Amino acid sequence: MNDENLVRGLVLIAISLAFGLTALRYPIGEFSRAGAGLFPLMVSSLLLLIGLVTVVRSRFVERVPLNFSMTNIAIILVSLCGFTMISEHVNMIAGIVFMVFFAGMAGKSSYSIVRNVKISAGLIAVAFAFQKLLSLNLPLY
Amino acid sequence: MDILHNLAFGFEHALTLHNLMFCAIGCTVGTLVGLLPGLGPLATISLLLPLTYAIPTEGALIMLAGIYYGAQYGDSVSAITMRIPHASSIVACIDGYQMTLKGKTGLALFTAGVSSFIGGTVAIVVLAWLAPVLGEVALLFGPTDYCALMLVGFVCVSFVTTGSLLNGMAMCLIGVLLGQIGTDINSGMQRFTMNLSFLVDGVGLVSVALGCFGIAEITKNLDSHEERSPFNGKIHLMPTWPEFKRIIPSALRGSVIGSFLGILPGGGPVIAQFAAYAIDKKVSKYKDEIGSGAIEGVAGQAAADEAAARTSFIPLMSIGIPENAVMALMMAAFIVKGIQPGPNMIASHPELFWGLVASMWVGNCFLLILNVPLVRFWLSVFKIPYSVLFPSILFFCCIGTFSVNNNLDDIFITVAFGGIGYVFMRLELDAAPLMLGFILGPMLEEYFRRALLLSRGDFTSFFTHPISGSLLGLIGIFVTWQVTAFFLQARRTAAERRQPA
Repeated sequence: MNDENLVRGLVLIAISLAFGLTALRYPIGEFSRAGAGLFPLMVSSLLLLIGLVTVVRSRFVERVPLNFSMTNIAIILVSLCGFTMISEHVNMIAGIVFMVFFAGMAGKSSYSIVRNVKISAGLIAVAFAFQKLLSLNLPLY
Repeated sequence: MDILHNLAFGFEHALTLHNLMFCAIGCTVGTLVGLLPGLGPLATISLLLPLTYAIPTEGALIMLAGIYYGAQYGDSVSAITMRIPHASSIVACIDGYQMTLKGKTGLALFTAGVSSFIGGTVAIVVLAWLAPVLGEVALLFGPTDYCALMLVGFVCVSFVTTGSLLNGMAMCLIGVLLGQIGTDINSGMQRFTMNLSFLVDGVGLVSVALGCFGIAEITKNLDSHEERSPFNGKIHLMPTWPEFKRIIPSALRGSVIGSFLGILPGGGPVIAQFAAYAIDKKVSKYKDEIGSGAIEGVAGQAAADEAAARTSFIPLMSIGIPENAVMALMMAAFIVKGIQPGPNMIASHPELFWGLVASMWVGNCFLLILNVPLVRFWLSVFKIPYSVLFPSILFFCCIGTFSVNNNLDDIFITVAFGGIGYVFMRLELDAAPLMLGFILGPMLEEYFRRALLLSRGDFTSFFTHPISGSLLGLIGIFVTWQVTAFFLQARRTAAERRQPA
């Protein structure tokens, strides 16, 4: 299963089935008067075909091992979700501080509290500038 | 004479204080994002798209266009000094970096800046002349022709950006399917919304773009373990007269090639650079030196790169069909501002079209100043560590998403697309065709349904109309060629395996 080409094909098949099977629940109509489901059904069928070809093709080409590292993407996504929730329930300044300090754990550079404080201060200043100059409705405090 | 008159009219609009300011901002931001890793023109335009709501239409479009063509200039600087092409200046790495190794960085940067200026200027003339002509031709297009044209765009973009027709087409189709989420405009039925109220109006363009390009790109850069050391060498910019004379013919050749290839669907800076470089290698007086740090190796490709970036506006503004992902975003910017790009745009908004064309020349002058005499200051940008840069990009992604609807929940959609974009990236599925499919998807469906309605469900109408028939024929030939090439390659590989060692 550790084959990039095969996984790619399977992912494409999964996406096409998710859209295609849902499209079947909508009216299909006829070609001269297409229903809401006809076009997505045609597109997902084409995607299913490409997925199947990709799976078959993976048998004939050299295996490429999958290169997945979950740490960085997980840190980034959690920092963004945290920013949103803190901005919603506390304020955006706290959200910015959380995002900078949490996202700082991603990557290979050493963690520096001083650097994060400086970045947070800079971004808060930019956020205030956006609020005042571009009239963006940011919930800063 | 009409063109001169129209250009003068355009300059009247482009040279207002406001538009000059937006043009300068666009060029500066473009140069900056061209230099910086992890923030190409695509992510930047999608990031700034919501911020342009408060800006007048002309200024907003002039600024966004400036970001696109400005990024081509900035990109060549990083390619020449550090061999890091961020957006598209892959070819500049070859001879440009060789010139840096020979201690001729200043000459390479001067050549790239001046050639880009020449390329941009030639392309603006082509744009001013060809876009109105093509706009008149586009009036002959019916729904079947538009469908076929979009399919040609999908095939070309898929092949050019990913190198694999299968992967690229898959991403285009996923984009089209994502574009189906929301309310069907013909029947009013909700599709693929999973009963979630925030999906009734569809998935936001900004969320898809920032997720797939901004967040996924940041994570990719964080995953890579490359050490980037800033350029600290000396720069002597002014060339000698014999060196300067070598720039002109090559830059003019590149300009013509770039202007032509920029118009074709799927075309754009990358192909234009390679084509100009290949032609210089064949016809240049100094062809033997190309590859080892020749002026011609930098001049031709830089001019082609810039020319193609400008002429890629032609299909968008005259036919209404974007030919690559950045142009698709530009199209979204036009639509956000209440303007439908297409054959009628030039007639109904002449001040916008000619103002934009004229601003490109103004932008060209700004970029020449920014990238030749001021290039030393830009090189200090490389000294910003990525650990400082990426939290700022994340912050801009959040603000960009939030400011579309003033809704914090939209950031969750961007986060979801960040995760999806990362998975696609790791599976070697490029997100650029997805973006094109996403923006053109609803339009493709509309034209497809209209074509079938007009032909009473008869599919042969797609082949009997001369324009659509020819375009679909081209797609057929291309797909057949790809399939044949795959089987021939598979047979050759199998034969090699069977041979005894």
